Amino acid sequence: MTVTLAIPSKGRLKEKTLEIFASAGLKITQAEDSRSYRGTMSMEGVEVAFLSASEIARELIAGNVQIGVTGEDLARESIAHADRYLSFREKLGFGHADVVVAVPESWVDVDTMADLDDVAAAFRKNNIRPLRIATKYWQLTQNWFADHGIALYRIVESLGATEGAPAAGTADIIVDITSTGSTLRANSLKILTDGVILQSQANLVVSKTAKFSREDRSTVKALCDAVGSAVAR
Amino acid sequence: MPDRKLEAFFRHARCTTPDIGLLQPADPILNAAGEDLRRRIFMTADEGGQAWCLRPEFTIPVCLRHIEGGKAKQRYGYVGKVFRHRTDEPHEFVQAGIEDIGAKNLIAADTRSLSDCVTMLRELGAGKLAVTTGDQAIFEAVLESLGLPDSWQTRLGRAFGDPVKLKADLDRLSGDNGSDFESLDPELRKRLEAGDREGVKQWIADKMEADGISPASGRTPQGIATRLFAKAELASAHLTSAQRRVLEEFLALDVPLAEAEMQLWGLAHKYRIVLGAPIETFHKRVASIGKLELRNVQLRYRAAFGRRLDYYTGFVFEVADAAIEDAKPLAGGGRYDGLLDVLGAGDATPAVGFSVWVDRLTTKPRKNKSKAKKKAAARGAKRK
Repeated sequence: MTVTLAIPSKGRLKEKTLEIFASAGLKITQAEDSRSYRGTMSMEGVEVAFLSASEIARELIAGNVQIGVTGEDLARESIAHADRYLSFREKLGFGHADVVVAVPESWVDVDTMADLDDVAAAFRKNNIRPLRIATKYWQLTQNWFADHGIALYRIVESLGATEGAPAAGTADIIVDITSTGSTLRANSLKILTDGVILQSQANLVVSKTAKFSREDRSTVKALCDAVGSAVAR
Repeated sequence: MPDRKLEAFFRHARCTTPDIGLLQPADPILNAAGEDLRRRIFMTADEGGQAWCLRPEFTIPVCLRHIEGGKAKQRYGYVGKVFRHRTDEPHEFVQAGIEDIGAKNLIAADTRSLSDCVTMLRELGAGKLAVTTGDQAIFEAVLESLGLPDSWQTRLGRAFGDPVKLKADLDRLSGDNGSDFESLDPELRKRLEAGDREGVKQWIADKMEADGISPASGRTPQGIATRLFAKAELASAHLTSAQRRVLEEFLALDVPLAEAEMQLWGLAHKYRIVLGAPIETFHKRVASIGKLELRNVQLRYRAAFGRRLDYYTGFVFEVADAAIEDAKPLAGGGRYDGLLDVLGAGDATPAVGFSVWVDRLTTKPRKNKSKAKKKAAARGAKRK
């Protein structure tokens, strides 16, 4: 049997992934036709598939690929209790993004989740509609707010430009990713002091649901070890 | 099937039995119970993008039907399948219950709800029952009697029924509550410290306008300013250890219902607190329940027992099989005077009701199995 390794198919995530594998002495070659989604690797028993990062998360959970590189945010957003399905083996040191709760700067009385709890209750008391949160991170948002005992809100799905939702009037606050915070600041939003849901980065992730032969297991271990020591260097 | 028996029971209890669809519009349910419920129900959508869910319970749909019908007062009976994600039980199961909406005599309605619940359980074959009761109004009376600031009272009141959250909130209020005004804009801070309410409101209004946040969309400059001042006033305040002791002693009460009042009076006397009208209501309700002379029913009062949903406002109860320790409840009920308003009834409407988990009564093998397990465990223990 061979192990399928899933690699992000485009952009900086792809470049950085190839770089780190190369520095681990693992050369990945994409098939001649540049539009092909298949590739090979210098290590024996490994096939490479180029997929979008969120697809990689889903395929790992389904057990269709054994090992892959994806963002922790995407993995945890794809399924509740992600650790039951996935083993996060190596943090790769790139693709940093924090998933955060951010509110309008004009909410000068709100700094913490406890403040937000009060505000959500006040929406209930004074308005007909609940507090609205724009996000594409349903799973992470629901878990985070449940952990803080906040139930009275509604999620407004946002598939792009989430940070513009409060000014556009489609939501009151947002849950989104940020790396430097500059987009949030430009939109006059501030992160709650205890509002960092997840400090995400690219991870080498092994599926817990996929099938592995004995050789597969040693291949996966060798891959993780090689990448792990490359990251440590 | 228990349906025929229940139909007769509903007729006898003077309930109408509305036809509640299996598919329910999701928005009113999620607006009332909160987004968190979404994780536990089965959602779908039609071709127009309208969100629907498989009926997760009956109370909200029945209340919506009541509002539609326009009657002031009505009792509703229902039985049917409901659907929820559950880890160790089937996702689809049968619930039956009665919702009593608009009855003005609250104590009589509370008593009748409990009485109907016990009777229905008996009809369905239940044996000895253990009833736990609670009362949100008593907890709120204790908070008020301690003279806690309004914002703390509402925060703790919201956490009632959720021991983890309540403890976290108590810890937060007991410690340095860490309000940090350092990060405020210097001009705003100056106005705040000078007590310039109008100036603070104006600063917020200007900021909202500059950021393109519509003051009509949700929070107003006035509302934000008021809360900022309230927060600033409490910046150095914290829950004293004496106040906390009263709350913890109160929340630890778990006594037979007949003794509850004496214990509450004892606590009030010991700490010189006044429980006011809620304890009067409590007294009348206990007397009224006592007159039912329920046989083979143990009644308890647990001070910390409440429901997390904020529209439950007073008396709540839960019924379990008295013969099984830590049994899952066979039925749950309570007063939810806040719900009809949340659903858009336009004014406060008293309402109380209960639901029976019919499958937990009819799946007898489980009970036997757990008994058998206990016996086996006891044998095992003896051998050791």
